[in-house]
Amino acid sequence: MGAHQTPSGNQEKGVSFQLGTEKAHVIILKPDDLVQRNAVLDAILTLSTLRHAYQLAYLAAPRLFGAGVDSSMFSSRGIGLLLYDERRIDEAVPAQPLHAEPQTPSVIQNDDKAVVTELASLKTMYLEMERTINQLRTDITTLLNTQPPNEEAFRVSPSPRIMTPPETFHQNGMPAGDLPSYFMNNPWLDVLSKRGSGGEPVAG
Amino acid sequence: MSIDNYRSHYTFAMDFGTSDFKFGPITLGDQPRIVNNRGYFPDKNSVMYKAFETTADVIVGDDVPLYLQSAEDLSSRLIYPMRNGMIDRSDGQAWRVVQTLTEYGLNAFKPPTNNGFQGYYVVASLSSVSPRYMYERLMSAFLQNNHGMIRAVTVIPQPFAVAIGHGVTTCVVIESGHGNSQVCPISKYPIRAAQVALNRGGGDANAITSEILKDAGYGDLANEEALVRKVKENIGLIPADLDHAVKEAKQSPRKVRARYRVPGTRVEIDLEKDSWSRFLIGEYVFNPNHEIFESYFNRGMPRPRDVKMGDTVFRGMLDFGEAIAISVERCPVELQPMLYKEVLLSGGNFSWTVPTKLQDIAVDAPTKVKLLLRDRGIKNVSIKMTNAPQFSVWHGCIIYGFAVPDNYEWDWQRLEGWMKVPN
Repeated sequence: MGAHQTPSGNQEKGVSFQLGTEKAHVIILKPDDLVQRNAVLDAILTLSTLRHAYQLAYLAAPRLFGAGVDSSMFSSRGIGLLLYDERRIDEAVPAQPLHAEPQTPSVIQNDDKAVVTELASLKTMYLEMERTINQLRTDITTLLNTQPPNEEAFRVSPSPRIMTPPETFHQNGMPAGDLPSYFMNNPWLDVLSKRGSGGEPVAG
Repeated sequence: MSIDNYRSHYTFAMDFGTSDFKFGPITLGDQPRIVNNRGYFPDKNSVMYKAFETTADVIVGDDVPLYLQSAEDLSSRLIYPMRNGMIDRSDGQAWRVVQTLTEYGLNAFKPPTNNGFQGYYVVASLSSVSPRYMYERLMSAFLQNNHGMIRAVTVIPQPFAVAIGHGVTTCVVIESGHGNSQVCPISKYPIRAAQVALNRGGGDANAITSEILKDAGYGDLANEEALVRKVKENIGLIPADLDHAVKEAKQSPRKVRARYRVPGTRVEIDLEKDSWSRFLIGEYVFNPNHEIFESYFNRGMPRPRDVKMGDTVFRGMLDFGEAIAISVERCPVELQPMLYKEVLLSGGNFSWTVPTKLQDIAVDAPTKVKLLLRDRGIKNVSIKMTNAPQFSVWHGCIIYGFAVPDNYEWDWQRLEGWMKVPN
């Protein structure tokens, strides 16, 4: 248990640690940094920009630095302050853990009205299909409960003459077979079979 | 006559009606498969189009409702190619629908491989007034992309198919649909030169019904086409004699009272004392020349006019009796008595019923036609409704495809014969 150091980003100053589920980053100021006018400011600003990447951000500075700084400057920004000397390190200002902000649901923009409309249409269709399926289930259940299945019930009257195609096709003519009812006694069969035989003038 | 075993299994018919596309092979027996004669051009950017992973640019058949989107889309995307029986030469969308339907129909009956199938003998039917370019475009649609499904193809006029399906070789077929009507003599062949076309059909009966509803105080309902059609079918009557029927009806309004309740609603139409006007509906279809209709024309109801569509002039005000007489008299004199003996009425516009209590003043369509011919001195006539009017065209196409010899080749002069498909 405890923190363990993790690699920092290429451009990042300081060191990074993993503390359980939290990631911490510490920028360490050396005694020589304190006399450089911009070093402290730079460190604090860097920590501010890294707040999105780390839950905990600390500035570690020599104890001397703590005597001349207002701790509220750190606490208001959630940045922790560690002061160190040769004997120990003290957390002068605790860092405020940074939690992920709740994701706001994406709002459908006005310019996606077409998508919304079509989604609504899809939903309506789905509900309609669901109603139809439920109705069909009810009807089938009722039908089965009131009347036992009967082959006769499913027979279409008059029986349609459904013919299956032959396995192989034979060119030769065959005796009259199973043709639809409207073929029966139809004189056009004879008339049309003579088309092109040259015997009749075209009425047209 | 010996039976061609191959064609007893592989004859295929397609009937392109104004509303329905009926199709299927001979092996279906008495009833073809039916889908709407329409196609839908989906929006390729829609999520529905992508969700169904289709690459088709036009949808036909039972899947069309799955793709329908807003009502605003219907007029531009849902195409009924043959609403008036004809397709304009340059109407690319309509022709695309027709081609897709032919592929759809054939693919629905694709035989298993390696059973000796060498393509169907396909017979398609078109309106009798279709100009030559429609035959050309339809043939072209069959020849493209048939994928070995067609061995030979031909196109025949719908009235000719009706005569074949009815089993009468010499007759006059009168087809009456939504937009127009045609009188077509047949004597073993269609007698094309004798055809007479009328610019009058079920849509005109709807128009007069709409005016009647307005007069009776139902102006708000008079603009709903589907409702007007239902009212027409339920309260319309054909008078034996219009003057007599109107007089009787006005004297006994309760006897002829016209009432219709729209199923599933509280809407009820009751013409009450104006019930005599129900006889106008049937009369207008058969003879729009009665002076009573002038008041409707004066009020703005469109008068059926003579129009030319394709190669054919459609007469507006010709009554059915006169149209039949003109048509028959264009045929050889010897043939005329035989034609009058077999007059077949085909099409939904002739489906009028007669209530039992009104049999003294109302008649059915065959009787009305007989009376109109009698008024012109033509007496030895026999008028019948076709058997199975819904399927008679398809039946006739099947018989034609089965019986016509394979070596009877297509001829663009006579518009008959087999166009062989190179495979």
